[in-house]
Amino acid sequence: MKPLLEIEALDAGYGGLGVLHDIALEVLPGELVAVLGPNGAGKSTLLRAISRFDAARTAGRIRFDDRDIGDVRPDRIARLGLAHVPEGRQLFADLTVEDNIRLGAFGRGNAAMRAALGDAFERFPQLEKRRRSTAFELSGGEQQMLAIARALASKPKLLMLDEPSTGLAPRVVGQIFDIIVALREAGTSVLLVEQNAFLTLARADRAYVLEHGRIVLAGPASELARDDRVRAVYLGGSTGEAV
Amino acid sequence: MLQLVVAGLTVGSGYALVALGIHIILRSTRIINFAQGEFVILGGLLAYSVVTYLHANVWLGLLIATVGGFLIGLAYERFVLRVAARGGELTVTIVTIGTVYVLLYGHALVWGSLPQPLPYFSGGASDVAWHAFGFEISAQQVWVLGLLAVALGALALFFEGTAYGKAIRAAASSPVGAQLVGIDVDRARAISVAIAIALAAFGGTIVGPITLVGGAAGIAISIKGFVGAIVGGLDSPVGCAVGGLLVGVVEKLLEGRFGYGVSDPVIYGLLIATLLVRPQGIFGARRATRD
Amino acid sequence: MSDRIKADTRLLPIVAIFVIAFGILARGNTNLIQAATFAAIDAVAAIGLSVLLGNVAQISLGQAGFFAIGAYTLGYVSTAVTWPAAIPQWAQFVLATVAGTVLAGVFGVILGFIALRFRGHYLAMATLAFGLLVVGVVRITPSLGGAGGLTSIPYPQFGSLSISGVAAYWYAWGMVAIVAVLTFNLLRGRMGRAFEAIRNDDLAAETVGVPTRRTKIAAFAYAGALAGFAGTFYAAFLGLIDPSEVGVDFSIVLLLMVVVGGAGGVTGAILGAAIIGITNVYGHDLENWRPVVYGLLVIIIAIRFPRGLIGLFASRRTSQQTPQSDPDSATTEPTPRQTLPSASDDRAWLRVEGVGKRFGGIVAVDDVTFDLKSGTLTSLIGPNGAGKTTLFNAICGVTRPTSGRITIDARDVTGWQPHRIAALGVGRSFQNARLFGDMTVLENVLVGAYRSETATLASDLLALPLSRRSGRAAVERAEEALRELDLTRIARVRASDLAFGDRRRVELARALAANPGLLLLDEPAAGLNASERERLRGDLVRLRARGMTLLLVEHDMRLVMSISDRVMVLEFGKLIADGPADVVRDDPRVVAAYLGTA
Repeated sequence: MKPLLEIEALDAGYGGLGVLHDIALEVLPGELVAVLGPNGAGKSTLLRAISRFDAARTAGRIRFDDRDIGDVRPDRIARLGLAHVPEGRQLFADLTVEDNIRLGAFGRGNAAMRAALGDAFERFPQLEKRRRSTAFELSGGEQQMLAIARALASKPKLLMLDEPSTGLAPRVVGQIFDIIVALREAGTSVLLVEQNAFLTLARADRAYVLEHGRIVLAGPASELARDDRVRAVYLGGSTGEAV
Repeated sequence: MLQLVVAGLTVGSGYALVALGIHIILRSTRIINFAQGEFVILGGLLAYSVVTYLHANVWLGLLIATVGGFLIGLAYERFVLRVAARGGELTVTIVTIGTVYVLLYGHALVWGSLPQPLPYFSGGASDVAWHAFGFEISAQQVWVLGLLAVALGALALFFEGTAYGKAIRAAASSPVGAQLVGIDVDRARAISVAIAIALAAFGGTIVGPITLVGGAAGIAISIKGFVGAIVGGLDSPVGCAVGGLLVGVVEKLLEGRFGYGVSDPVIYGLLIATLLVRPQGIFGARRATRD
Repeated sequence: MSDRIKADTRLLPIVAIFVIAFGILARGNTNLIQAATFAAIDAVAAIGLSVLLGNVAQISLGQAGFFAIGAYTLGYVSTAVTWPAAIPQWAQFVLATVAGTVLAGVFGVILGFIALRFRGHYLAMATLAFGLLVVGVVRITPSLGGAGGLTSIPYPQFGSLSISGVAAYWYAWGMVAIVAVLTFNLLRGRMGRAFEAIRNDDLAAETVGVPTRRTKIAAFAYAGALAGFAGTFYAAFLGLIDPSEVGVDFSIVLLLMVVVGGAGGVTGAILGAAIIGITNVYGHDLENWRPVVYGLLVIIIAIRFPRGLIGLFASRRTSQQTPQSDPDSATTEPTPRQTLPSASDDRAWLRVEGVGKRFGGIVAVDDVTFDLKSGTLTSLIGPNGAGKTTLFNAICGVTRPTSGRITIDARDVTGWQPHRIAALGVGRSFQNARLFGDMTVLENVLVGAYRSETATLASDLLALPLSRRSGRAAVERAEEALRELDLTRIARVRASDLAFGDRRRVELARALAANPGLLLLDEPAAGLNASERERLRGDLVRLRARGMTLLLVEHDMRLVMSISDRVMVLEFGKLIADGPADVVRDDPRVVAAYLGTA
């Protein structure tokens, strides 16, 4: 099966600061792939380099849906079927829930916008109840749902999520994760960046573990879930190389 | 006294449109355009040229001035503001002030330093006055207030009711989020500025028959438009419009009571007082003053 | 900045020679002399704005207001006040000049207080409003001449010499000379470094010990006083004051002068004033073209040549701004390390009690309590968004806790401003290494020694021995901190040109130059490669061995576990674990916080 997203030998960073080194990663259609690792490992940088905002690719290739997207204009990437829910969500704070969702389908016509609204409310009934509130007024969990709904409005082939669990209460995190799994069941591929390793490994198909900008572990999620080295990467310890 | 209020609302409409233009540009580019008032003057002068040299109807002058303002705004954003923004906030402030100078004296080079008349919208070189409820109101004043309402309505419709208008607001609210859903943020900014300048040109033309166009009044209009924006609330469109009208009314009332000259220090004092006591203005929400 | 000082050092003598030559050669041409006199008056005011805009990065569109205050003070004193006959006219003039300057300075302090609350555009508007208000008030005050202005102001008379014509030229340029020397001294001294630090990064400056509020107010006062000083002679020379000549237009022209000539330092302002003066003389008939050209010039220069025309003369490299350190001291043994301001062994150096911080509805830090003993290295870890940086900010005064108390060396510092807490011996580094980009490595570290310097504003202005000694001592401290971290070879490199790994070490050296007892380091290992991390580890261990107390926020677990005496774990703002490294690492709650639960 041809990968939906294929990254080879990627170096990326900000200005003069190189963060990612020699990253090789792929997402096959229909997969839920996780990228794990401690803070500062470069997980967010990876997604930003793919979406082409903030972080810049300095070497290597990124292919999506069989085309090289390394030089595509950032605002065109969404049209290719790649949606990104960034760290901090970046919602349109003073626009309503409805408008946020509709704008997710920007440029696709009124019919698409209406369909997006319908789908979102079906998937997130809580959002329907708050449809006229501004994004600013929503709770943390609702904002996360809105961010996902907005990203889904363009009916993407691949959804990338950057630490959706940040700042959310455990119960809400569980809800979000259930939604992510349901998306995968429905055919959307997912690239999930998370700090919360156990929860993620329990649901993902495969995972990569980043440390200091490099991939140090990779494989089926079920195997990594049992691997002590994962814990060592996060907490430092005797199973890793000592400093 | 009602007379003065009406006069105040009329001149205040000009200030309100300046204030609103400042708001639109601030929201979409985080830049305060100190030169906004100059574009008001420029707009009026463009209309004057259309009327005088093309021998056209003043309504055509209004249309061309507004469209001209839009195009000038596109150029202004692309070649002045965007370039200056790369140098940082201080550079942008300095550049917009430089623009004030260029336009303030530049228009005198083209049109002369004397203010010029603009035909009244009801046709003809003189105004029609009506008496009602014990005060006098002129046709032009009615036009001004009416057209102000039309402009405000059109803006509201655009920004609240159309997809692209909302997209522009989205780009201002979160450029990253906008980019991620496929909105061209640069174009959104350019169009916002163009709308603001078009608004300024529109404003300059509609009050033109009453206040005359051109002359040295440009900087005073800019400043009073500012005061209106600050007092009403820089980050609230309603606030800016109301603030501008308020400044106009205050100005005319003071002038009526105490004669010319008192209104200026009072208005500037009002600006300082607002900055000290409630910097976000009457309708403003965020305390964005320390950025 | 140091390049502007260097430019001043090289160019001011040339300016002086030119001024003298001009005064002699052109003395027969009344037009030229008069224009040059006005240029001098403008230059004095422009120098003040140049310092404010170029050295402290505060914009003022209201300088004409101070100019007007100076002018009207002198005008009023000279015409409306009846002096006792015993006081000669020149004494009246001097008194009036002093009064005008001081009054303008006082208003400068007031504007400075107002300016503290605003940044960027709002500051521009606030200062604009000030200038407008001054002129607006003057216009409606009959005793100041109202809208018609004040007239019949006499020339200053020194005995039989009337300061008019050529004498006025020399007097005015004499004013420029005095102001130039004072300003030059100011910028080379302690306060000049404080200005520059604030211009580059005022938060970092504050945490290093620079009293930013006071310093900004001082800058406004200085700029105001200079404009007022200029205004006093303007009134005496012209003999009349027209309110529309000292209004917004003039404020903008002053800004134009400074931008075109080059903000920061003295020569740029003089050059800008001279250029405007020249165009006034020769472009007189081009009534409206002149301002249009000025405006275009300003726009082009602000965008293409942000350093102004002076920037074309200045190079970016070496610094001559730092006071010369005694050349012998470089070869002798470093002075023995001063004793750290640390508490005696068992007492807690830092005590955090029940500290909490809310932002609206969000609780960032929740009831955190701990003590830090001196000479220990503690790491604060926790998942993203756990509140670690907020806690740091609370300890060093950047944010005010919403509850609880923070005690440093037995003093309650809760709610203190950062520079006061820094003065107690607290040093800090930031997640993204906040250096003063335009200053060299040595200058950055010199700012670290700010609070130990003894120089005062007066001693700086007059370049007294006290300032020189204080500066030398600071340089010695700075050089020692550089030696300690092996940074001496890059001492003269501009901070913005540094490689990333060096940036962090320079920030550490800057913190060390203040001889802190407590060091707060926010993610010191972030972005470092393996060998740089190894060196960091060595530095931290060495600092601890010297008795310093260290508190780190870190994500690099291997580093944390290998050097920490103690590890505290924050999750959702609460302290969930606190103890030795290996105990904390195996604590199931900590594991859950990082890795989640199944």
